[in-house]
Amino acid sequence: MTRKLRCYAVALGVTVALTLAGCGGSDDGGTTSANSKGLEKTTIKIGALPIPDPVSLYIAQAKGFFKEEGLTVEPTPITGGAVAVPMIESGQLDISQTNYVSTFAAVAGGKKIKLVADMYQAGANCFVIMVPSNSPIKTVADLKGKTIFVNNLNNIATLAVETQLKVAGLSKDDVKFAEKPFPEMGNAIKAGQADAGWITEPFITANQSANGFRKLADTMTGQTEDLPIAGWMATEEWVQKYPKTLAAFQRAIAKAQQLASSDRKEIEAMLPKYTKIDAKTASVITLGTYPSELNTNRLQKVADLMLEYGYLKSPIDVKSVIAAPASSG
Amino acid sequence: MTGARLLRGAVGAAGFFVVGELVIRYGISDDMDFPPPSTILLETGRLLADPDFLAGVGATLANWALGLLIAICVAVPLGVLLGSLPPVERAIRPILEFLRPIPSVAIIPLAILLIPVDEMMKVSVIVYASLWPILINTLYGMHDVDPVAKESLRSFGFGPLAVLARVSVPSAAPFMATGVRIAAGIALVLAVSAELVAGGVAGIGVYVIQAGSGNRMDLMMAATVWAGLFGVAANLVLMAGERRLFHWHRMRTGAQS
Repeated sequence: MTRKLRCYAVALGVTVALTLAGCGGSDDGGTTSANSKGLEKTTIKIGALPIPDPVSLYIAQAKGFFKEEGLTVEPTPITGGAVAVPMIESGQLDISQTNYVSTFAAVAGGKKIKLVADMYQAGANCFVIMVPSNSPIKTVADLKGKTIFVNNLNNIATLAVETQLKVAGLSKDDVKFAEKPFPEMGNAIKAGQADAGWITEPFITANQSANGFRKLADTMTGQTEDLPIAGWMATEEWVQKYPKTLAAFQRAIAKAQQLASSDRKEIEAMLPKYTKIDAKTASVITLGTYPSELNTNRLQKVADLMLEYGYLKSPIDVKSVIAAPASSG
Repeated sequence: MTGARLLRGAVGAAGFFVVGELVIRYGISDDMDFPPPSTILLETGRLLADPDFLAGVGATLANWALGLLIAICVAVPLGVLLGSLPPVERAIRPILEFLRPIPSVAIIPLAILLIPVDEMMKVSVIVYASLWPILINTLYGMHDVDPVAKESLRSFGFGPLAVLARVSVPSAAPFMATGVRIAAGIALVLAVSAELVAGGVAGIGVYVIQAGSGNRMDLMMAATVWAGLFGVAANLVLMAGERRLFHWHRMRTGAQS
């Protein structure tokens, strides 16, 4: 047993040594290539959800836009907005996907976060309320007293539904919201756990074809038309510490966003590579748009909407949350 | 005997499979969009040719093995130390008894906040979770050492370290091994759970998240089947190892396989 222990100890020592050597090695590589572009940091970890929104990250990666800027990017799948903030705070991630409602709520709660690039903006029929085909619910007004599934409570999901309830003369107190991940919503609604669900792609398409659900309302109309949905964020500290790295990231992402917004085929080709959405589904799902720059006016609309519906206690000046791209291109 | 047992096991598994297939295809399928076992099995086989999944398996198993190894290196010496110094053990016991029942999965969000490197975070929670069964079993093993053997060695003039190395540790070894086997299962649970909560560059749990986001329930289930198979395999290997190494212990305690 003691001999065995010694073996374990040696194995562990070797493992630790190798790990440390590995870390040291990559750091060295980082600084040497950094010199050529003057970047403070050349290898960055970027958190993204395996959904269509962050497609430009993967386009920029595949087309070599990051490499042109001297950046080595490690795309890291994350599970949701809730863990993204602690992950950028602890330094596990340099930059992460976020949704604007969560970001503004976090900022109002005192988090030092900056938005560094735009990602995804709602289009028609991107986020819809769905019900089973035989449901007695025919209009949004029929949702009174019913239970609606959302992927997250007190988030973009509930806000979007509330704007539609308001149009129908209802408020959030007239319905019951319950949380359920998108992949499980269809089955759970069929099983009677809720009457309706706030659903996005690829689940809109899947629930239509496999479960025979129908669309009750598009939640991105009226007050929420063309609503900015998601963007890239970093901590204030990170933004201050790595301005050139940030600028390089922003240039590469903007380039990829332009490509994504001008050619849907680029998105369709990329989706099956980083999500499990198959090529056939990718070609039929409804997508939003991919803006190339963070527009203060459009983002202010989100913050104002949050204030109106009680998601914020006091107004936020969105300008102070944005880390604008460096002017030099 | 083993042949008959294998046969019965196979019949049981096949029966379960057939019932599952029938229920999902013809029974409750109207209310549930769930892939039948045959589809899941097919995808389970196909995953072996999926480089994404294989990279994920590699990452998960590497974290698992490293975490378990560190846990062994920490828990076994600590258990031996505490087990041979009863006053210290009594002093530390309340802390152990407080920390041990905290569900390890619950510390993942804390670990995400505190530990800056993703892999280190995952290995840490694996170490934390697998520490307890090894430590507690080692302690029990140390308590179970035959006092007569210890006294005899002492009366022959052997020092405390020699007694420890010749009697106590070998005698507690089967308990340690059982602790490691239990910890191996827990470590796998934590390896996958940490990925399910925190994501990551690759891993079985990361693959499950991706499959879920793409509405591929079949892939989710197939990856889960593999996770289960790894757990079974680890248990079988460790159990076989225990049986070989500590045959005498089994004879003494009269334990059945």
